[in-house]
Amino acid sequence: MSQAGIETYGAYIPVTRLPLSVISGRTAKEGDAEKAVAWSDEDAITMAVAAGLNCLQGVDRSRVDAVILATTTLAFSEKQGASIVAKALDLTGDIKTIDISGSLRAGTLAIQQAIDMVKAGSVRKVLVIASDCRMGAPRSGIESSLGDAAAAVLVGNEAVIAELTASASHANEMMDVWRRQGDAFVHSWEDRFINDHGLIENSAAVIKTLYAKTGKTGKDFSKACLYATDARNLGSIMKAAGIKPDQLQDAMFGKVGCTGASFAPLLLVSALEKAKAGDALLVTSYGDGADALVFTVKGEAKDKNNRRAVSFYLHRRRTVDNYNKYLSARDLNVTEYPSPDDQGISATVQFRNRDENLSLQGQVCGSCGTHQFPKGRVCVRCGSKDNWKTMTYSACRGKVLTYTLDAFYPSPEPPTVATIIEVVLPDGKPGPRIHMQFADASAKEIKTSLPVEFAFRRIHRAGRRPNYFWKCTPIQQTAGGAV
Amino acid sequence: MSDGLKNKVAIVGVGRCKFGENWDRSEEDMIVDATYLAYQDAGIEDPRKQIDAIYCGSLYSKNGPVEVSEALKLYKPLTMVLNYCATGTEAFRAACMSVAAGVYETVLVVGYDKPKDRGVSGPSVNIRDVRDLPATPAGWFAVCAQPYFEKYGATREHLAKIAVKNHHNGTLAPESFLKKEITVEEALNGRMISWPFGLFDCAAQSDGCAVTVITRADKAKNFRKDPVYVKAVASGSGPNPNTDPDFDFCRWKPTENAAAEAYKMAGITNPGKEIHVAQVHDCFTLTELLTYEDLGFIPKGSAKEYIDSGYFQLTGELPVNTDGGLKTFGHPTGATGVRMIVENVLQLRGQAGPRSLKKQPTVALSHNIGGFPTGCAVAILGIEK
Repeated sequence: MSQAGIETYGAYIPVTRLPLSVISGRTAKEGDAEKAVAWSDEDAITMAVAAGLNCLQGVDRSRVDAVILATTTLAFSEKQGASIVAKALDLTGDIKTIDISGSLRAGTLAIQQAIDMVKAGSVRKVLVIASDCRMGAPRSGIESSLGDAAAAVLVGNEAVIAELTASASHANEMMDVWRRQGDAFVHSWEDRFINDHGLIENSAAVIKTLYAKTGKTGKDFSKACLYATDARNLGSIMKAAGIKPDQLQDAMFGKVGCTGASFAPLLLVSALEKAKAGDALLVTSYGDGADALVFTVKGEAKDKNNRRAVSFYLHRRRTVDNYNKYLSARDLNVTEYPSPDDQGISATVQFRNRDENLSLQGQVCGSCGTHQFPKGRVCVRCGSKDNWKTMTYSACRGKVLTYTLDAFYPSPEPPTVATIIEVVLPDGKPGPRIHMQFADASAKEIKTSLPVEFAFRRIHRAGRRPNYFWKCTPIQQTAGGAV
Repeated sequence: MSDGLKNKVAIVGVGRCKFGENWDRSEEDMIVDATYLAYQDAGIEDPRKQIDAIYCGSLYSKNGPVEVSEALKLYKPLTMVLNYCATGTEAFRAACMSVAAGVYETVLVVGYDKPKDRGVSGPSVNIRDVRDLPATPAGWFAVCAQPYFEKYGATREHLAKIAVKNHHNGTLAPESFLKKEITVEEALNGRMISWPFGLFDCAAQSDGCAVTVITRADKAKNFRKDPVYVKAVASGSGPNPNTDPDFDFCRWKPTENAAAEAYKMAGITNPGKEIHVAQVHDCFTLTELLTYEDLGFIPKGSAKEYIDSGYFQLTGELPVNTDGGLKTFGHPTGATGVRMIVENVLQLRGQAGPRSLKKQPTVALSHNIGGFPTGCAVAILGIEK
């Protein structure tokens, strides 16, 4: 049995980019610094599902015994996020679902936790997803530095491509950045104080401990994935770690931004995309203390060229041309009346429909082979009753049969494209027809017969709760254009 | 084999109130206004003795059928019928069957709705389940546009011409809500609601009530000398077409099925010739277009040529929506089907005033379809027995 480590990986970065020039009211030019922003139908959960789907590509899902979600931006104080993610990923019921939250270091803590679980032999594989969707106050400096993204790694001890060979942690208590219960925005104490005595001092300390434990120095690493909030702080941490610029994993400042709990895992995934057997990777992260991890690369992901991770999403972008659209997408525009806190969707109905809504599960008729979504009792084609086999369509593709552009649906960029799609099964035959919204693209891109794939999204907030369902998106290549 | 409803029931009284944004009128006001017009039309002086039962239909009812018994202060058997936009015709159908079965002799049919008390402009967006949105009625019907356009070459301009026709007809109906002539250009430039439907492709939301008094055909002349006979009332429904793997987005089975049943019941073999005037469901202009074809008035795919030639205009071969339809009356859902029957009765009796046709019709059809669409009802009336 080999050592526990990372078997495969995936990532997700929202397609939408907010140029910093647009925040200050200027017209964006190509090449302007920008940040990745979750759009109105995205949050930490939907991004986690997307990264998780990418990570589980080609993996036998029945071997995943636990899901750990690492985030500081859960929608609920009481109600798990990992359980929603696991259901959307259609993972079997007899698994552990765990949230690790509260700290920006949650991502690296979760990876270490998962490795310990596998080493202890209590689980076979653990899907670790770090996803964060933090907001700074509109037009604040913090807003410009943050970004939204998710990174996923599958931890196991079978086909390990990167083994955790050393780690060190430091705990530290200070008020540097925080959100109180109910705060929408990240707050912080004075810049130089929190950088010097928080991020840099703790990162330097944990790196020193790691080097002392392992006898390694900066020059022993092929790549260093260093958590920082901006380029200047990154420079200080590089210096403390003895890392030269050519060893540095691009931190994507001005492209994605600092993505909180998912930042260090995102850099790690980015490094794994290019890593070769024998490489040593240094990963540090910070938040209420600091972590330093050493991964020794054993091999490459089998399907690395088809795997959607950081490099895929870096090229897939569309820019927001108007800051108001961003404010609207993140529900930050002032309105006189808050949306009513009605009961929202019946939790009972939601319970009965969870297979369809969260897992995109339908069924195929045992008599005539007709696929049906949502599930029903009687076949629409042959009329036979209760003769069904369950099917999950989230990994299939589809094609647009028809559409309309709905100007009434509340959206930061109306009209909303509503489609009827036909699922295309892996063998090319038609699956069920589903009424779905079209996401991540403008109304100009919709046409009949357009090939689509499915994305898990927050479809509305009835009852001021996030309500999730699947949307369709153009097959994700490198979409472009302005929002 | 059933022998249907043909010539068993007659309409002897009709009434419809002013349709519109009736801010200062309640359900009670509208029900009383329309019902007392129908009483007067039927020569009913003592409804407590002359009416045996009531069938009513309302989609937005706040309190259910009691709204009707309360308004009319009647102690009678009362049934409320519900089938989305076909609610009005379905209430009429249920009432006709009760008379044909000999259970009741004279029955009041009350279709009404009061959506403008809800404080929302435009369609209601109901959230019952996560997957329901966006689910405005415009969005449900609009999904048929692009496939039809691609297959048969019709365009938004053909839809616009339907709106122009109905707006014109509506200017001639005293009880209509919108009385405004529009041009094709105005219709095409209306604010987008759900592509390809602009504002002028959509029926308005309005309040209204329409009422008929029906009785046994053999007793009809006790009420008036020119009763209108029910030739057929038929209903068709189905599951959501959008999840039907065989649906081609160019036809609605509920209409085709209801029409086939109605024509068989009425003995009609060539509807394009034997139907002289029709009120069809024009919640959206495309609904009217597809319905021309689904009812078999013209071949599938040919609507654009007939629209261009003015075939369905007031002066055309087969006038459709002679009072301006849902487009100008608005769509108080429970009222609509009954309102159409009222218009057909007026046309058959030659009492349509400026909306009169160049040739006096003797057979008239009305049609509703609603839901996704999932439910349809068709009524055929004739002046001759």
